[in-house]
Amino acid sequence: MNATYLRMEIRRLIRNRRLLLLSMLLPALVLLIFGSSAKHDTLDGVTGAEYIMASMAVYAAMVAATGSGGTIAVERGLGWNRQLRLTPLTPGRYVLSKVILSLLMAIPPTLVTFLVGALVLGVRLPAGQWLGIGVGAWLSTLPFAALGVALGYLARPDSAQQIGGLVITVLAAIGGLWIPITQMPATMRSIAKFTPTYWAGEIARGPLFHHAVAGRAVGVLVAWAVGLALVAAVRFRADTARA
Amino acid sequence: MTQNVLARDEVTVAAVDLRGLTKRYGQVTAVDGLDLTIRPGEVVALLGPNGAGKSTTIDMMLGLTTPDRGRAELFGASPAQAVRDGRVGVMLQSGGMLPDLTGAEMVTLQAALYRRSRPVSEALARAGATGFADRLIGGLSGGQQQRIRFATALVTTPDLMVLDEPTTGLDVEARRAFWAAVHEEAGRGRTVVFATHYLDEADAYANRIVLMRAGRIVADGTAAQVKSIVSGRTIKATLPGADPVALAALPGVDEVDVRGDIVLLRCPDSDAALRALLTTTDARDVEVTSRGLEDAFVALTMDGDTSS
Repeated sequence: MNATYLRMEIRRLIRNRRLLLLSMLLPALVLLIFGSSAKHDTLDGVTGAEYIMASMAVYAAMVAATGSGGTIAVERGLGWNRQLRLTPLTPGRYVLSKVILSLLMAIPPTLVTFLVGALVLGVRLPAGQWLGIGVGAWLSTLPFAALGVALGYLARPDSAQQIGGLVITVLAAIGGLWIPITQMPATMRSIAKFTPTYWAGEIARGPLFHHAVAGRAVGVLVAWAVGLALVAAVRFRADTARA
Repeated sequence: MTQNVLARDEVTVAAVDLRGLTKRYGQVTAVDGLDLTIRPGEVVALLGPNGAGKSTTIDMMLGLTTPDRGRAELFGASPAQAVRDGRVGVMLQSGGMLPDLTGAEMVTLQAALYRRSRPVSEALARAGATGFADRLIGGLSGGQQQRIRFATALVTTPDLMVLDEPTTGLDVEARRAFWAAVHEEAGRGRTVVFATHYLDEADAYANRIVLMRAGRIVADGTAAQVKSIVSGRTIKATLPGADPVALAALPGVDEVDVRGDIVLLRCPDSDAALRALLTTTDARDVEVTSRGLEDAFVALTMDGDTSS
């Protein structure tokens, strides 16, 4: 990682408010709609608002984290990656910088979903649960940060944003962030258990049910993160396209 | 410490060493068994028409493209190693910058990626970019962006600077300032390799010209040496109602070009041609010029076809 590089990236992020605002607005809106209608349902003593808020915290974090992919694709189109390949910056440090940036980007939208939950839907939880949900949702986005970087290399500059949006929407749906997988057919339930979204949701909702973090959840998420980071690093090496 | 390393290398190791470099794209041989050695401190212009293999050669020199055969070495190491060691600074023709950073930020970022660098303000000043360094790159003109690019190449104090079409978009004044700065770098022992379409720049600023055609080097030497490959001079005169056939029959004349009242005679022996022209015709306002780099360029890269 390179501290100056990260600092410049953060400045760029703040200058391009569109991406940051979009990543905060969408999950907040979904939470308002689904959360309000399911406010009074309960499951094992957990209200619908609490359940959906935790799911949306994951969704918010993953949208923001994957969003970095679009910026990488644009940078490739600008010839920036070609220029970077001609500096001493190694592929590993580059991908690490991008992943850290994605993780940083995931913080504000997660906090916004908490604010909507607390202020609009009246969610009241002990501090430990807030913290557990927040940190769980945040750290579970690691594979999505890597997904964003990988997509940034696999997709074309003009379509990366759309493809990224499609991929995470599908992953969110299959992984039970919209509708709990308990309400899905058996086949869908088994497919869901291969997705990072399902396990990220389990980790974020865990504190509500006083569940500890399952080893399998961590295993699946780490496998996805490592696999996608490898794809990203290999593509970084191969990518020398002229501007 | 760095200075010592540089001084020792100058004695023993070539800055750029290309041996039998070959690259094919399908049926097309872009670079064909190219050998080229560049000593530290040389300012080398890489010339050639489009498709001559300049870009592919530069890509292999920088390790961006793997050669099918042969090898490329920079300072006795692989290009990738030289790049990792921060010994190479590259100025691309276009792109390679983030439009949502300011020029000063861009140069700061570039400096941070290298182990050794000079102060950002100094690099900006030398590139003539101080006046607009605080503006976002996306809002700068092409010429201003090119100066920022130059500042990013300067800030890293590389041993080898590779400049791809560096003065595209610069006005005459800026081009002159640019080359003055490049020569100052070369004076400090840095090696400069540049590709350009401006033959006058190669003529004026390179101390060595490498002319490429169809993936091979067709001429390599000083501007004067390359120009001397194409012998002869051009005689230009005013001669109303000139007879091209009669002119072509004059001694020492190779080729005749009549443009209205002006005639242009390409002459292997301009002295004999001049004697005959002034005694047998009414030619006036006579000018004799030696062929320029452009003539050499055209002669060496256009005629015949040795690539098939």
